[in-house]
Amino acid sequence: MSETTTPSVLSMTWWRWICYLIPIVALVIPFFANEYLLWVVNAILVYILVTVGFNIVIGNLGQLAFASTAFFGIGAYTTAILMVYIGIPYALAIVASAVAGGLAGFLASVTALRGIRLYYLAIITLAFGELMRWVYLHGDKVTSGSDGLLMPQSSFFGVTLDSEVTKFYVFLLLTVLVVKATSNLMQSRIGRAFVAIRDNEASTASLGIHTARYIVLAFVWSGAVVGIAGAMYAALIERVFPESFGLTEVIVHFGMVLVGGTGSIVGSVIGAITLTTLPELFRQFPGMDELFFGIVIVLVLLFLPKGLVSLLRRISPVFNERYYRD
Amino acid sequence: MEPLLKLQGVSVNFSGLRALDNVTFNAHAGEVRAVIGPNGAGKTTLFNAISGYVPSTEGDIHFKGEPIHGLAPHEISVKGVRRTFQNGGLFPQMTALENVLAGLHVHINSSFLGIVLGLGEAREAEREGLARARRLLDLMDLGAIADQPVKDLSGGQQRMVEIVRTLATDPPLLLLDEPVVGLSPPMRDRMMEIIRRLAGEEGLGIMLIEHVIDLVMSGSDIIVVLSSGVMIAEGPPKEIRQNREVLEAYLGHA
Repeated sequence: MSETTTPSVLSMTWWRWICYLIPIVALVIPFFANEYLLWVVNAILVYILVTVGFNIVIGNLGQLAFASTAFFGIGAYTTAILMVYIGIPYALAIVASAVAGGLAGFLASVTALRGIRLYYLAIITLAFGELMRWVYLHGDKVTSGSDGLLMPQSSFFGVTLDSEVTKFYVFLLLTVLVVKATSNLMQSRIGRAFVAIRDNEASTASLGIHTARYIVLAFVWSGAVVGIAGAMYAALIERVFPESFGLTEVIVHFGMVLVGGTGSIVGSVIGAITLTTLPELFRQFPGMDELFFGIVIVLVLLFLPKGLVSLLRRISPVFNERYYRD
Repeated sequence: MEPLLKLQGVSVNFSGLRALDNVTFNAHAGEVRAVIGPNGAGKTTLFNAISGYVPSTEGDIHFKGEPIHGLAPHEISVKGVRRTFQNGGLFPQMTALENVLAGLHVHINSSFLGIVLGLGEAREAEREGLARARRLLDLMDLGAIADQPVKDLSGGQQRMVEIVRTLATDPPLLLLDEPVVGLSPPMRDRMMEIIRRLAGEEGLGIMLIEHVIDLVMSGSDIIVVLSSGVMIAEGPPKEIRQNREVLEAYLGHA
């Protein structure tokens, strides 16, 4: 129902400030977290960008395109290859990964533009991901095949990424910037056009909106965001190898989008946090961890089909992001 | 006076089926033009051909003297021909206000970079759009429901919001596909009154598809009758009422 009727303990402005405060409060994490915990937090930051990027196409544009692992792998390999062979600085490699991811997004959008939708789009984009994995495996002259590429020591504007602490600050900066830019985009006429296309493509065109252009833009932005996540992932795991970008990875990405909440940036963040943390907790039950992971996804979707973000929406209407409502 | 819309021998073929056969007429500003005909007569196909959703196989369509056949739907919309859809074209997850804002899309002048960087000019453009959308809804007495998701609105309110959305950019020509279907009789009369006002006071050209003959007879200036894709009659309601061919198409052999 309408936002104004939802009772709220705190005002909208307050909640908004709290959202802005989270990254600032996060700055102190390295002071009490050990290396392992910090590694998990860094992985969360990577997956926040993966989910935010993936969610644009799935949730906002409403297209069943599962090319996120392709974008993720292309981003990671672009950074690794450019740094290993050409020795470019990490900051530049991140930009290159964003461009490469964006180009891959453009490629994926072409299938959607040609009227390939729903299951057909799903299977073609999954095949795109698997094709890329084949390329990493068999392009071994460049990618070192299944051994993977060992990342050289990277530094970001003079900050050497030799510890989880420095990685944390660089990743936090990148994540906050990209999430904010994406949030700006989604709340503008452009984000509105994405959702309009999802809800009714034919009538969107009748409003003078060049639907094809916006479909391409959504895919390109999605690819660029996930490409940046790939560049971060390369620095995080320090060795880029093909098995990181298989079909299980797609399920993890999709799970994060669904558990968090489709079409919601806050949901993407929650989904990434939940499904990055839980497998670490389940590690103490070897052999059962994947089962638990699956059960969590099933339970959330069964009881909160709109994702965990719908719980927050009950607390405050500020989480009722525009253009997506229960 | 130069016609607003000019159709010259427009035909549409669907793999062998002639959905529209050599349709020629002129539509003018300030005129309510109803398109009637039995099911399958080609009424919606006519709207789709004008608004670019189906390509016309033959013939020319001119809007304000400019050819528009062959253009994409969004290009025709930008030129000033806006339409509604028979099954409703609203975005159900958005509020009434956001739907109207989407209708204003081409009028909100914000650059991609300005949006991404959150620059003042982009936010200002969005704010202006928002104020305008609210004003438009207020004008139609829809201010109270502006912030409700349209899926929660009644059928009548949804139709009104869709019309406000098409009007948002002040288009000279509106194509309304069954604007009163499913509405209660008082709502219907109100809708027809608004349509009359838009044509009479604002000088818009309006074409509408309608099945309720009484409404068509009382509310339109000119009636176009289609039967099996052919325009069998065109004229003011009084003439159409007495046209033998029309009676036959509707009632079988009279």
